[in-house]
Amino acid sequence: MTATQNPARAGAGAGETRTLTLIQAVTEAMREELARDERVVVFGEDVGARGGVFLATAGLQAEFGRARVFDTPLSEASIVGAAVGMAVRGMRPIAEIQFADYMGPGFDQLISQAAKIRYRSGGQFTAPMVIRTPSGGGVKGGHHHSQSPESYFAHTPGLKVVMPSTPYDAKGLLKAAVRGDDPVIYFEPKRLYRAAKGEVPTGDYTVEIGKGAVRREGRDLTLIGYGGVMPDAERAAAALAAEGVEAEVIDLRSLLPWDRELVLESVSRTGRAVLVSEAPRTANFMGEVAYVIQEELFDQLLSPVVQVAGFDIPYPYVQDKIYLPGPNRIAAACVQALNY
Amino acid sequence: MIQPFTSDPLRWVSEDGQPIRELPARFTPELLRELHRQMVRAREFDKKLVTLLRQGRTTFYAQASGMEGTQVGLARSLRVGHDWVWPYYRDHTLGLAMGISMMDIVSQCLGTNSDLCRGRQMPHHFGVADKRFVSISSSIASQVPPAAGTAMAQKYLGTDEITVCTFGDGATSEGDWHAGMNMAGASGAPCLFVCENNQWAISTHLREQTASETIHIKAKAYGMPGYYVDGNDIVAVMEVMEHVAGRVRAGEGPALVECLTYRVGSHSNADADAEKQYRTREEVAEWEARDPITRVERLLEHLGAPIDPQEIRDLVAAIHREVDEAVRAAEATGQPGWEIMFEDVYADKPVHLERQEDFLRAEQPATVGGRA
Repeated sequence: MTATQNPARAGAGAGETRTLTLIQAVTEAMREELARDERVVVFGEDVGARGGVFLATAGLQAEFGRARVFDTPLSEASIVGAAVGMAVRGMRPIAEIQFADYMGPGFDQLISQAAKIRYRSGGQFTAPMVIRTPSGGGVKGGHHHSQSPESYFAHTPGLKVVMPSTPYDAKGLLKAAVRGDDPVIYFEPKRLYRAAKGEVPTGDYTVEIGKGAVRREGRDLTLIGYGGVMPDAERAAAALAAEGVEAEVIDLRSLLPWDRELVLESVSRTGRAVLVSEAPRTANFMGEVAYVIQEELFDQLLSPVVQVAGFDIPYPYVQDKIYLPGPNRIAAACVQALNY
Repeated sequence: MIQPFTSDPLRWVSEDGQPIRELPARFTPELLRELHRQMVRAREFDKKLVTLLRQGRTTFYAQASGMEGTQVGLARSLRVGHDWVWPYYRDHTLGLAMGISMMDIVSQCLGTNSDLCRGRQMPHHFGVADKRFVSISSSIASQVPPAAGTAMAQKYLGTDEITVCTFGDGATSEGDWHAGMNMAGASGAPCLFVCENNQWAISTHLREQTASETIHIKAKAYGMPGYYVDGNDIVAVMEVMEHVAGRVRAGEGPALVECLTYRVGSHSNADADAEKQYRTREEVAEWEARDPITRVERLLEHLGAPIDPQEIRDLVAAIHREVDEAVRAAEATGQPGWEIMFEDVYADKPVHLERQEDFLRAEQPATVGGRA
């Protein structure tokens, strides 16, 4: 059941909150944006009557009709390309790619069209659009349902890339993405769809793209992550706290652009940085974060920057849980930084 | 009656300028002269730009000589500034015939401050918002899915606009072409797809491009009619386009028109002497004999209203002056400096781009005219 179908919550005013899962927050953001702006449409594979394979769009077609929430041919190039063409013509498309692993066929549309049309036309044409896509592992999906391809997109000027890890951010970031004037790739950490629960305002709000959030304050080291790894990062921090180590935990939320100021301010206090992601290590987005930390804070670092990442292998099926950085591996990386 | 899926290209005027069907009443000598002027203007523009290329004043140019019948004929069938166009990179003749100024196209080719695209793309990739002529992408067929999307938006918004999407024969081998055609077909969006089949994708001939007998028959698989037209017969192009655009505009769904033509020039400066590399002079000569401009001249002779050769010489001279003046005026505006490099990446400049801009500001001297 989605939140607004809950009669106990109906009519709740601004300022009130209720508990939603991450995927319910995604749905709620789309519902509110569809209601707010007629230029908004939602489409993708199986998003209509079925409501998406994860049910992110459940109920939206029934509520807004087939003209505004509709199924498309099974073609990521078509879905992304159609979003570009609609956006250029003045609409605000929200397109779903069923799994981030299938962004490949739509990749040229993103890098050649969506990311470049504003620049190449001197600002004459723009593509304000959102591509939502579930990413990351932990659902026993093998390598075609578990990958974390965000670094490809963070490497593309003209795109914005975000990945919420809480229901609050999921709603606020999606609304910000829909209302912004740039193409946004909105990654949804699928293993948190129902695992992440939190308080979400019933009213309208946005979370600014490009701003991170401090999840836990601490003075001994800074633990920086985004997306699906965040609950484990917080578990690691809690375990360290039991040992008397206070880790500050930062959720980047946005990768392109990312909150350099927040990260540098924290690491300048703690002197230690541990970077956590589940994407393969080589050319991992966190490499850029590490670079900036050493560039700006070399004199203040008490240890080398430590990175916890996925391995440079195709995402495995059987060893799903071993592949992912869990709280133990994250805590061990923190200890490594502390013991340097 | 104009039928889809014909085995031979639809034609109104024979290669030697004789009407082989009744000439529609609108093709008066006055209209034919106007079409002739537009085609000659585009061809002379082509020649002048190739000269600029050889002089090193621009770095890329894709000739469209031989394809004027297709592109001018298409332009005449649009509601310019109302319908949307997702073009490909060999469409300056279409642009000129739609009323995009030589100044705008030349400015883009030279990357001057007068370039509407602010010097951001390689030459011959212009875009003009007030003509709804979308900025060209080099990535082949990447305009096809977005064209379907623009047409879907037009349908959703309830406009009476249509979207026109052009491409060459090579593009029809790309996945994006099939994706976009299928999307348009499945959605029933008002999209007119136009294949400017000039038979060569750089050095790859149509016969190596596809085993399909023609391009237009591929429309069948996407649930839309496919029309086959002699692209060097501007009367045929206009008759078919008017009919097909009309049915697209009437809500009958998308359609494909294949215009069979020929790229008389080279692909670009990358293959300046095509006949030494991959095709024969005989083949080029054979197609020059089917030239769209000559065909209209012969038709006018047949109608008893020949164009005076002196008039053509005067026309050519006037066009050359027009190009020279556009080049002079564009070059006089100077080229944009580094100051605009970080603009138009996003709606607002993020902090990391401001920092990179600061770096460049410290490295580079300020330029005159940096603000386009």
